Amino acid sequence: MSSTPVPASALGPRDAGVSTDWVCPFCALLCDDVAIRRSADGALDAPNTRCPKLAHALAGYGAADAHASASIDGANACADDALDRAAHLLARARRPLFGGLATDVAGTRALYELAAATGAALDHLHGDALAAAILAQQDRGSFFATLSEVRTRADLVIVFACRPAARYPRFYERALGDTDLARRIVFVGCDADPAAVDYASRANDVSVETLLPGVDAHDTLARWSALVESRSGAAKPAGGDAATLAALVERIGAARFTAFVYEPAALPGDHRALLIEALNRIVKAVNRSARAGGVALGGNDGAVTVNQTLTWLSGMPLRTRVAKPARLEGEPPLDHDPYRYRTGRLLARREIDLLLWVASFDPEPLPAALDPDVPAIVLGHPALAGAIAAAQRPATVFVPVATPGIDAGGHLFRVDNTVALPLAAARGIALPSVADVLARVGERIAALAVAAADAPAAAAPGIVAVPLAASGAATPSGAPA
Amino acid sequence: MTLTRLKNGTVYDPTNGIDGERRDIAFRDGRIVDVPPHVRADHEYDATGMIVMAGGIDLHSHIGGGKVNLSRLLLPEDHRDDPLRAPSYEAVRDDSGRYLRLPSCGVCSPGTLATGYRYAEMGYTAVFEPAMLPSNARHAHLEMGDTPIIDHGAYVMLGNDELFLQLLAEPDNYERLRDYVGWTLHTSKALGVKVVNPGGISAFKFNQRALNVDEAHVHYGITPRDVLRTLTRALTDLRVPHPLHVHSSNLGVPGNIDSTIATMDAADGLPIHLTHIQFHSYGDEGPRKFSSGARRIAEAVNARKNVSIDVGQVIFGQTVTASGDTMMQFRNAPLARPHKWIVGEIECDAGCGVVPFKYREQSYVNALQWIIGLEIFLLVDDPWRVSLTTDHPNGGPFTSYPHLIRLLMDKSFRDEQLAKLHPEAQVASALPELKREFSLYEIAIVTRAGPARLLGLRDRGHLGAGAAADIAVYRDEPDRERMFTSPAYVFKDGELVARDGTLVSTPTGGIHFVTPDYDRGIEKTLRAYSEKNLATNFAHAAISDDELCACCRGGRLLPVECFHDASTAGSTR
Repeated sequence: MSSTPVPASALGPRDAGVSTDWVCPFCALLCDDVAIRRSADGALDAPNTRCPKLAHALAGYGAADAHASASIDGANACADDALDRAAHLLARARRPLFGGLATDVAGTRALYELAAATGAALDHLHGDALAAAILAQQDRGSFFATLSEVRTRADLVIVFACRPAARYPRFYERALGDTDLARRIVFVGCDADPAAVDYASRANDVSVETLLPGVDAHDTLARWSALVESRSGAAKPAGGDAATLAALVERIGAARFTAFVYEPAALPGDHRALLIEALNRIVKAVNRSARAGGVALGGNDGAVTVNQTLTWLSGMPLRTRVAKPARLEGEPPLDHDPYRYRTGRLLARREIDLLLWVASFDPEPLPAALDPDVPAIVLGHPALAGAIAAAQRPATVFVPVATPGIDAGGHLFRVDNTVALPLAAARGIALPSVADVLARVGERIAALAVAAADAPAAAAPGIVAVPLAASGAATPSGAPA
Repeated sequence: MTLTRLKNGTVYDPTNGIDGERRDIAFRDGRIVDVPPHVRADHEYDATGMIVMAGGIDLHSHIGGGKVNLSRLLLPEDHRDDPLRAPSYEAVRDDSGRYLRLPSCGVCSPGTLATGYRYAEMGYTAVFEPAMLPSNARHAHLEMGDTPIIDHGAYVMLGNDELFLQLLAEPDNYERLRDYVGWTLHTSKALGVKVVNPGGISAFKFNQRALNVDEAHVHYGITPRDVLRTLTRALTDLRVPHPLHVHSSNLGVPGNIDSTIATMDAADGLPIHLTHIQFHSYGDEGPRKFSSGARRIAEAVNARKNVSIDVGQVIFGQTVTASGDTMMQFRNAPLARPHKWIVGEIECDAGCGVVPFKYREQSYVNALQWIIGLEIFLLVDDPWRVSLTTDHPNGGPFTSYPHLIRLLMDKSFRDEQLAKLHPEAQVASALPELKREFSLYEIAIVTRAGPARLLGLRDRGHLGAGAAADIAVYRDEPDRERMFTSPAYVFKDGELVARDGTLVSTPTGGIHFVTPDYDRGIEKTLRAYSEKNLATNFAHAAISDDELCACCRGGRLLPVECFHDASTAGSTR
């Protein structure tokens, strides 16, 4: 990039200017080579980066964001009142769901603390695809390679049943780059991604081909697996799909490194976890004599990040419910169940009595299936303010929050799960972060609990009042209790 | 400015030569102070009949980063099997009404919260992640930052990254390599350097399946010895206190004794630390072609004053092996129990492998592994050069340390455990003849004083004036396992954090790291390499102090001084 690097943090909120080396939060590739330009009225664009996703996201920010207001039941409210109301709603809820969860590491840290205080279940907007990948991981494990490994080693790239550029527009540029490595990109189980063909046309020695585009994915993987597992005595198949796969297996055996690219969200059918498991089994078998690794594309809107953070804090991944300390004897503190804590299912069965919806990257509206009687707290993109005001939904609190990378810093994990990047605010309008808002709500809830403990008669029936200052607790200064 | 006095405890402070003396320990503002007995304290704790030591220091425990989180993800059953504590354990709130403790579970791969809580409850005040990849450093710091109470730090992995090996393969690059090491320490905010299977993780990427100490990497042509020699020399020149931390070649391979000793000698007399050496102490004798190499290894360590070790003791039960050694983890994957595993290759840096494992008393091999670890402890003469570890979680969970301490201190208990093992293993080794029992003084060395010294933490691991008031106070019980499980009091920087094995406070721990001097000109080479090869922008390579603070939730930055001159670095301490 030509301009002098200016860290985004050095720019004041009213200044126009360009910051380079900006990390984009709008898909899990986390492209970190973007020059982002902001104008004095709060509009943003990235003229040197060709990415429809980025362009679309940036178009959603403008001058109005500085005036986005919190609201209660559709009517504008000051932040303090909105937070008070949110705290009351949460304190009363017995079966809250924290959903959407489009946030960063700091947001997840705060969400976890609040979930523990309120007995909430946690599921992400992209929970279905994530759950399939997690299940496969929990059952069998995986064999993976990260983006730089693919970039420097993969002379054969197999893309299974997906078009990476659909959800990750700059995938080829970022994962393959413009190195001098000769590559063969083979689409199996689907037509070639036009973006791959385009990339190949601009690269030195890259070709694109398609195999078995119309064949059922389960069948393909089953045949493929049988071929890699078979001992040398197996007869070579004469023709048809099996022969095509056998030829591919030979190419993989001769390659320097084969990258297997797949996208859980794009896998067909109702049993994606089985497909993911089968793919990884093939990759593992390949590695007995040759070299290969898988790249699972997924995790937009903070899904990778929230899953990582929740897992390290609690030990359990997403689709977990955290029980409050005041729980039944024998009830575990953490209940991980990818079927039970699925947002769609919880809403359809009307099993929740409050939804805390976090949407800081995209103005993702409340799920349509949410019962109109269920209270909702939305920590959302400023562009949601209008829709929420218009909907006039009762028992709804809205607080506009900063998008990490736009109006706040933060940390996000990249698609390959290992690289975490620091985000800097490209604009810096004074919107609170998700973590800020949750911390303030948490303080209010704690204060309510203290008040309730002091006045036990006021405790709602059925809720056990948790005693303060249990034996063993010491004051922070270290005096013995 | 409140003064606290711990009265009349029996103090073991090997750094200051105190071996079981009745003493008061006073502290103020988080530091131990020398105060005459007549000065009144604001708070007093009666430690009569109790054993007082500095807080425990674990210099090798996998507590944060990609492979640790993968092991959590892989084993939900480990979390579900975690025994339930009473809900009241979690119900304690602080003065502002917030819960002191958040739910976190797992036995062999606990959540970070559980990790911090349990270490503190056990009297440990500092724990170090031994295998942090440069490309995964932020993740490691985020996880360590979410590990409450204990101070932490990490050793950064080098010696398998493609750039290092490229530079090493070309002649006359020593200065650039040295500066690259300095840069990596600085930008990843590490306390030391780790090398795992030197050159071997990279060799596996080129489809090489084994790599012995003097064997050439199939692509770069360098040997593990070349890697070791360069890294030990670089760290000495950079005056980094902690020696090169080495996971040697041939982990787990019967007959690896020779390559382990060769690894020690690859340092050419410079300081070198061989980690989880138990896994590298296997002979191949006998009908099962698996025997103990503990005696030869211990003799080699005894004869080489530049070598320090930690044992990596195996503990029977279910655990998970999480390691950067992709070559060996892939090789051992068929032994996974339960049968599932993860291997990955990462950012031209290194890789990782996660393989669940169950050590069984009735397995000849596992029983002998257990024996070998104990033999090493008992046969190495100088406790200052041995640290107590299980290579958590690879040998066993860190919560088994009290059990291990009892095995070392109590011969009859050791014999009882030995009698439960596979009968052939019982007679396959010299363990029954080893009568040594560790004293409390020696335990204090291998669990706190020694590690502090090996890491260059001058104000930790001891109880002299000026030291941080990280103190563990144990009730003197004959059952040493019980004694070390639940200290009566644990202080962190002068604040009481645990009492009788349960938490009373959860302050945020600090982060230890070194900031060596190096020639910043090396960045030109690194930038060029990064732009050509990596999917990450070089502009984001370094972690700043501010960013580190954010990762560590505002924990204190605790920079560790490098040695003042190279001669100090070269001598034994």
